[in-house]
Amino acid sequence: MSLQKVISGFFIILAMTLNFGFFYGDMGNPAMHSTYELFGALVISLIATALKIGDKTQIGSVLLATSLVADIQLIIAVIVWAVVEYSLGGMTSSHMATVISFSGGALLANITSVVLYIGETLKSKR
Amino acid sequence: MESSNAFWIILQRLRTPLIVLIVTYAIAILGMVIIPGADGNGNPYHLTFFDAFYFVSYTASTIGFGETPYDFTYPQRLWVMVVIYITVIGWFYTIGALVAIITDKTLNQELLKGKFVRQVQKLNREFVIILGYNYVHAEVIKKLTKADIDVVVIEQDEEKLNLFQLDESSMGVPVMVADALLTSTLKEAGVGSPYCRAVVSHFYKEEKNLRITILTRFINPTVKVITKATYEDTMTSILDTDVAKIENPFEIFAKRFDIAITAPHILTLENWIYKNADLTDEASLLPNGRYIICGYGRLGKLLQEKLDKHGMDYMIIDEHVIPSQTMIENETFIRANADNKDVLLEAGIESASVLVAGTQNDIDNISILVTAKKINPDLYLIARANTMKEFTIFEETGANWLFMIEKILINKTSLQLSQPLKHAFLKKILYKDENWGTSLVNLLKAQLGVNPQLLHLTINEEKAYAIYSAIKENESIPLNVLLKSLEDWESYHKAIPLFLKRNGEEFLLPSNEILEIGDQILFACNKESREEIELIASNIYDLQYVRTGEDKENWLLSKIFK
Repeated sequence: MSLQKVISGFFIILAMTLNFGFFYGDMGNPAMHSTYELFGALVISLIATALKIGDKTQIGSVLLATSLVADIQLIIAVIVWAVVEYSLGGMTSSHMATVISFSGGALLANITSVVLYIGETLKSKR
Repeated sequence: MESSNAFWIILQRLRTPLIVLIVTYAIAILGMVIIPGADGNGNPYHLTFFDAFYFVSYTASTIGFGETPYDFTYPQRLWVMVVIYITVIGWFYTIGALVAIITDKTLNQELLKGKFVRQVQKLNREFVIILGYNYVHAEVIKKLTKADIDVVVIEQDEEKLNLFQLDESSMGVPVMVADALLTSTLKEAGVGSPYCRAVVSHFYKEEKNLRITILTRFINPTVKVITKATYEDTMTSILDTDVAKIENPFEIFAKRFDIAITAPHILTLENWIYKNADLTDEASLLPNGRYIICGYGRLGKLLQEKLDKHGMDYMIIDEHVIPSQTMIENETFIRANADNKDVLLEAGIESASVLVAGTQNDIDNISILVTAKKINPDLYLIARANTMKEFTIFEETGANWLFMIEKILINKTSLQLSQPLKHAFLKKILYKDENWGTSLVNLLKAQLGVNPQLLHLTINEEKAYAIYSAIKENESIPLNVLLKSLEDWESYHKAIPLFLKRNGEEFLLPSNEILEIGDQILFACNKESREEIELIASNIYDLQYVRTGEDKENWLLSKIFK
């Protein structure tokens, strides 16, 4: 067991779970999606990305790519939310659906990350 | 992936600063959102994430727009203090890390290496790889760049490379700080490239030279390795690789010594071709009589061989070597320090005619020269200069013939790389006898003066268009055509063809060979005859005139109005 592995595994999985927590619920209803959870998902996702930076292995490169995808999806979701809230006069259910679908995309990327990570771990224990 | 090493280094070093930055921002923003504030009317108000991010962004970067959207309450201000300290420190840490990366040595080396590899890949004509930057190589590089041959330089010591980059011959030369003994370095330097012509390696430790030769042999067997070897075993091992041209300065000098005894005018010719002296130079005419050789190492043994071959009278002095039985019986060896008046007297210096100061130590050699000159001012002195550092002092001592190891390596290396035709000519004449040498020197002096020029002509479309097209039309052009005068086609100008090289065949002093495409000819000439040769070779009208005697204009008109 290495501390390095525990930490990176922790962040990869936490990014996914937090994102799922935000994503789960009625698409068009802002009340069912906590901003705190989106904030947490974004921060953890960024940290997970930073942890993978500089890993030159094949799997490391793919993990970096997937978590960059998740970051971009989440950042777009946040920007959409902020623009809608402050420039377009408040959140509507259709705009909320857009935000949620972006975070759904990020969730897919997170899941890919986790699958790859688990696959890599299983392989190395052979 | 190899060349983007620098990029990965940056990313890896930035990992921790980035995480620190993300975490401090996250803590700061979260705190700002959670801690309740109040709006203008005293109603409770929570900052939104947007408000918090906005506030932390300008606070962390120390811009400080003030408290928005409403004045903060005291609990909020308390937290803002924490925010300021953690985020500002986070930023400083990140910037510090960035600066450290930029000034990092490994990173810079990686960047330079990337640049080097790109530069080498861009080379699209023949080039030479120089391993190690030392006095010999500095001079070789100068001569090669002058001859317009590209070079690539590898040196392990950064300071030496900096020295090189101050030199004007370093313009546009790809350089890299690396260990030349590694396969990866040689590959990056372009040994595998089809344009790589030779690898030059003159390390003092000869095992290094051997190693480089073997590595090169396996990366690209078509590349020549020009290297130095003076010990028997290294020499044979290097020769076994089949790719090396060995330069053994001792053997080169011993060969010259041999020639100087039997055919000194050949050496006069050689010195003229190396541009060391003109044809009147007779410094290498060795007097007859007793030879005294100080130092019995690699050089002494070779010289002894030559002296034995010619049955000359000699005496060897060396402090450290135990003489063989025959040498004791023949009384040709004194085991003593040569730098001593009594020892020199015992060796018979008063009646000797030549003294060779050939020890490994330059100061010893100088001292021997000075002592010997005092006892017998008529002595012919040969001195071995191991480095060029004490060169001027050697000249001061009045030595008649200086054997400079480094100079020999410089001349030999640069000539065979930049002017292979001259090099081939020299190799050929070294086996000629004194009669041949004297007559050629006299012929050259009589026709062209004491310092004739050399002209290298290749029969190809670019350099000799007229002859090239005539041969293409199946006309036979003898070499003599090039020697005819443009003033009067029945007489000849003064140039002398010295050497003709055609795939595999070599003609020394060619007389009237029929020229073929691809022939390389070396002429001795003066300024006027040089122009004539170049005109005849490239101008179809001039060629027509010297072949037929028909006037140029007439021939041109007849061609037009045919």
